[in-house]
Amino acid sequence: MSVAARDRFDGLTRAEQGAVGFVVLLAALLLFGLATGGLAPTYFLYLVGLVGMYVLLSFGLNVQWGYTGLINFSVAAFFGLGAYGTALLTAGNSPLGIEGSRLLGLIPLTVIGLLIAVVLAAVVAVAIGIPTLRLRADYLAIASLGLAEVVRLVFLNQRDWTNGSAGLRGIPGFFQGWPVLETFPQAMPNLRVEALEVSIPGVFSTRILGFTLDAPFWQALLNVAFVLALVGVVFAILRRAHRSPWGRVLRTIRSDEDLAEALGKDTYAFKMQAFVLGSVIMALAGVFYAHLNLFVSPGDLEPINTFYVWIAVILGGSGSNRGAMFGGFVVIAIREGTRFLGELLPGALPAADIPFTDLVVSFPSVVETTYVTVVSNFASTRLLAVGLLIVLVMRFRPEGMLPPQRELIWPRSVAESAGPGETNPRETIEEEATATAHVSDASDEVAPDEVAPDESTGDESTGDDLFDDAPDGTGDDTSDSSDDDTSNDVDAPTDASGDASDEGGERNE
Amino acid sequence: MSESERDPGLLEGPNLDKEDVVLRVDGLRKTFGGLVATDDASFAVERGKITGLIGPNGAGKSTIFNLVSGFYEPDAGSVSVNGVDVTGAEPHAVAEEGLIRTFQTPRKLEGMTVREAMLVGPQRQPGESFVKLFTSPDAVAAAETANIEDAQRMLEQFEIDHLATQPATDLSGGQMKLVELARAMLAEPELLLLDEPVAGVNPTLANKLREHIARLNEEGVTLCIIEHDMEFIMNLADPIIVLDQGSVLVEGSPAAVRADDRVIDAYLGGGGA
Repeated sequence: MSVAARDRFDGLTRAEQGAVGFVVLLAALLLFGLATGGLAPTYFLYLVGLVGMYVLLSFGLNVQWGYTGLINFSVAAFFGLGAYGTALLTAGNSPLGIEGSRLLGLIPLTVIGLLIAVVLAAVVAVAIGIPTLRLRADYLAIASLGLAEVVRLVFLNQRDWTNGSAGLRGIPGFFQGWPVLETFPQAMPNLRVEALEVSIPGVFSTRILGFTLDAPFWQALLNVAFVLALVGVVFAILRRAHRSPWGRVLRTIRSDEDLAEALGKDTYAFKMQAFVLGSVIMALAGVFYAHLNLFVSPGDLEPINTFYVWIAVILGGSGSNRGAMFGGFVVIAIREGTRFLGELLPGALPAADIPFTDLVVSFPSVVETTYVTVVSNFASTRLLAVGLLIVLVMRFRPEGMLPPQRELIWPRSVAESAGPGETNPRETIEEEATATAHVSDASDEVAPDEVAPDESTGDESTGDDLFDDAPDGTGDDTSDSSDDDTSNDVDAPTDASGDASDEGGERNE
Repeated sequence: MSESERDPGLLEGPNLDKEDVVLRVDGLRKTFGGLVATDDASFAVERGKITGLIGPNGAGKSTIFNLVSGFYEPDAGSVSVNGVDVTGAEPHAVAEEGLIRTFQTPRKLEGMTVREAMLVGPQRQPGESFVKLFTSPDAVAAAETANIEDAQRMLEQFEIDHLATQPATDLSGGQMKLVELARAMLAEPELLLLDEPVAGVNPTLANKLREHIARLNEEGVTLCIIEHDMEFIMNLADPIIVLDQGSVLVEGSPAAVRADDRVIDAYLGGGGA
């Protein structure tokens, strides 16, 4: 590692270093798989495409849930709207039956499909947002759960429009009808990477590489380029928006909607914008999926897909774009990784000479049968793995793996103002939390002494004493106790907060 | 009435005959089921003054604040800010007319630094438009820089500038009240409604808050304050409006209110008879 890279790595927070480490490790594993021929390059690119798709979905949900606190359980529906929007226009067996690959011989149909998908998702988002976004957050959650099923069932049952459960086949790649790119996969030469014999004499010998880069590979490469472009553009937009005053209002709404309203922000409008933006991003993921998989069916709108995306966002760290990215990556790693794990493990427990089998007959057989069940159904146990992971994350790191790490203000504006520079609040929170923990313990012990005199101040209906200019004695008690800790109360967070929690409860109406 | 003859500084009911009125509340009524929280409440807040709103628990002070700021919709009556009728308007629309309120319990903004939390205050920021972020980035950045500087200056005025880059959730109750006040000031309000600014604040900090509020008033900010702490409100506000059972009992100078038997009766639960 170069010195510059080393410095850069040290400049990251621990969470960032962890995430980078994980990604590097997994990438190394994949490269190893590629090099040893265990992983076909085309399939590898397909996996990268899937990661990109999940990253897009996570981005979309992150705008809604992570920024704004909107609970949207219809991720799969917006994804499906995107996929069907473009598929209906371009699929070979689409009931619309549009011929050719360009509109008016000019614009590629896939581009029109993308636009239609985006508009469709936006319209549905507005339609579901109008009745629910003025209400409390839970109403959107319920309504969106219903919406997801409605959309799925419409696609399943409106055979005249959508082909029903047969789905839409023969969807072209996204670049069909584009100049140059359309024929790119065919135009590229077939490259044969010969297998190499690698050996350390006498110790170890294996064959590596040995695959062909043919048209499907180049097609997959195009797909990856497409999804990377989408991810890149969306990330750039979100990064800017998240740190802008716009993003700040969304984050305020998430924390406290009343406060945002009281400060003159039209929260309904902001929530609607976030909801539509997130839904459109999800639809983009659907568009990509349709042109990656070349087949869409109502099965793609199953609710489980919604929850995978939720897992990605929660795992990555709600409210963080990079967290959403990381989460999408991890979910695919689990979903596809478990597939391989099942193949790698032997089908049955290796026969071992377990002593005293005649004495304990039942125990080993139970282990054996459980093992066989798990291995032969590994794909199904991935849900178990995902569930376990979520439990662990919630238990040990409820804010997710990579929550927002820095103050979210445009660095340029901070630099231009005369105020203090950019900070790293997350790290200071952790440090200070441990530092102040002791102090607040101490003030908790003091609390009982303070409560007693407070009660006489709280008792305000004592006739003549009511309007006394100076509260006798009682005020002195509290100020005395605060003097113990520090002379300047403005600087004494723990002390004052102790007072606040004691008195706040009594004085509230 | 005999009481008002006895003390010319005290009016039975509200004083609606003021010269330059920022907030006028007329016949406001709100019921929650069978409970009448606010019953035909009328009062006026004069520009440049600190108007205190006191009354025993359940007198309807907070309900009136919620009605005025748009969080509740009144059953009857009207509210106007600067002569503009805002009855039943949404809170953000009321805020746009220049009426900014704070809350009894300070609201925390998770994941933000104090400075970020402050930056929510300024009104009509160009950067709050998603489109403008991309069509006119320079204007947005310039406004943001100016707002950061304003926020920093405001924090300095409230002597909490050392907290600027602290997490907003790490503050004490009193510091949060200061931040909330400072943020409300960034909204450049015509009228600032403070809901129990010193509830849960220790006496030293309460004194500081009083000085800050008095300073803001000298700088020309009109305030209307609900407060239970009598010493605090009596030394700060003039006039004082006393609410009882959802409507205005008396209005007058602190000294006059303090001496009035009916006010004491109201606090003792005598029903103001």
